[in-house]
Amino acid sequence: MNSKDARKKYVYYPGCSSQGSSKHLDESLRAIIPELGLEMEELDDWNCCGASVGNIGGGPLPTTALTGRNLAKAETQHATDVITGCAACYLNTHGANERIKADVALQNKVNESLAVADLSYEASLQVRHACEVIVNEVGIDKIKERVTQPLDGLKVAGYVGCQTVRPFANTESGGNYDTFDDPEFLDQFAEACGAEAVDFNVKTSCCGGSISVISPEKTLHLIKEILQAAEDAGADVISTPCPLCQTNVEMYQAEINKKFGTDFNLPVVFYSQLMAKAFGLDGRKDAGLHRNTVRSEKLDILVQNA
Amino acid sequence: MATPLPDSSQKYDLGFARWVYENVKGGDQLSMCMQCGACSGSCPIGTDMDHGPRKLIMMIRAGMKDTVLRSNTLWNCTSCYRCTVRCPRGIPVTSIVQGLAAKAVSLGYADEVVTSRFARSFWWSVTHFGRTDERLVTAKFYFSFGLAEGIKRGLGNLKIALDLILKGRMHLGLPHKVSDTGGLQAILEKAAEIEARDQLGEDKS
Repeated sequence: MNSKDARKKYVYYPGCSSQGSSKHLDESLRAIIPELGLEMEELDDWNCCGASVGNIGGGPLPTTALTGRNLAKAETQHATDVITGCAACYLNTHGANERIKADVALQNKVNESLAVADLSYEASLQVRHACEVIVNEVGIDKIKERVTQPLDGLKVAGYVGCQTVRPFANTESGGNYDTFDDPEFLDQFAEACGAEAVDFNVKTSCCGGSISVISPEKTLHLIKEILQAAEDAGADVISTPCPLCQTNVEMYQAEINKKFGTDFNLPVVFYSQLMAKAFGLDGRKDAGLHRNTVRSEKLDILVQNA
Repeated sequence: MATPLPDSSQKYDLGFARWVYENVKGGDQLSMCMQCGACSGSCPIGTDMDHGPRKLIMMIRAGMKDTVLRSNTLWNCTSCYRCTVRCPRGIPVTSIVQGLAAKAVSLGYADEVVTSRFARSFWWSVTHFGRTDERLVTAKFYFSFGLAEGIKRGLGNLKIALDLILKGRMHLGLPHKVSDTGGLQAILEKAAEIEARDQLGEDKS
């Protein structure tokens, strides 16, 4: 095959949350990616990326070796690109991949580790976030073309969070797909789906990440600010690409209401769930909209199929 | 010749700055810091930190080993990377903070630190299954504080857990595993061995 004709081959790395708290991100991504004209196959026997605390729990090199194992497996599947929808998987896998590419000594150490399981990584792959691929390879126009059930009247606060854009969105290896502080892609996704993107000025504020899991008393006020800004902007739903953002901003609403005397009841969904709906796919099976724990009338209408 | 980690008898030991420079990812950029404070000002959780990243960098350069490695700044970092992208000198602040946290653990400064406990529970899941079992990591973390505290924390989050179970977002049953846990464990052990070997080599030379 002529290299000019060679299509990109995406190997999909779902990450651990896809089998637990963020099943609905996984389900909706698997539903929309083919609709957007991309083919992907699942990474064979994938392992954890090391998340936020792998470095602390296991040390830097073992954590890099975790990624090395995934990338070595992706190479045996003849992938050109690894695609993931998870912010932490992207941060760790892309970051480690770029470090390995830039540092032969590190690559050798990773390969010395992988050799005990008869694996090796030739540093041939690109690791990409699903949002970057949708922006750069698919394009907003293609999303619009695919929409059959526009989300008319739905007001969406696009909450990007941190690691989906920082520190790589604005770098060459990260695809230069948006900015660190004021990214627009989530708003563009929502509007391409026929929804209204509300003006939301905390789109890249931090939800507390894993600290919200470890010591929520330190970070509930951060989540409160995100909810408050979305409510003030008149949003019906918050849309996010990040598994931990989705879970944190959704799950802690009851505790925030108790602590701060607020009255939040704001559904938090993945952009891919909204896209699946706008593409006319099944509200449960494809969009996974029955899995969101904070419910509203509008969300309950959205989950139903026309 | 690499710089050995200074002992703590001297409150200020410039050898520590050099040690960080040589042993912590991004540490070689430390001398670029001009103390502008964009990092600490950008930190979402800076008010919970004893020092914050700007002061931490100054203390590293001053050689305050124990103060740095005992600083809660290492444990409150949410990995939001705002400091990193905003630093006008291009210093990878998050990497340095995270790298110091890993060093503090391996040097025994952090056994009782809450983030460190969580990291141990997390790594237990990674090494046993090759994947994060959110349910078991959380349970192991809660019970690391003892039986009574574990039950208390579990009950405190019962509603969240039930919501997740009802929506099919908490895995029930045996943990998901990679197929060759043995191979994965061997890789991790080998990597830890190489890391230890490198560390030893640096200390010996």
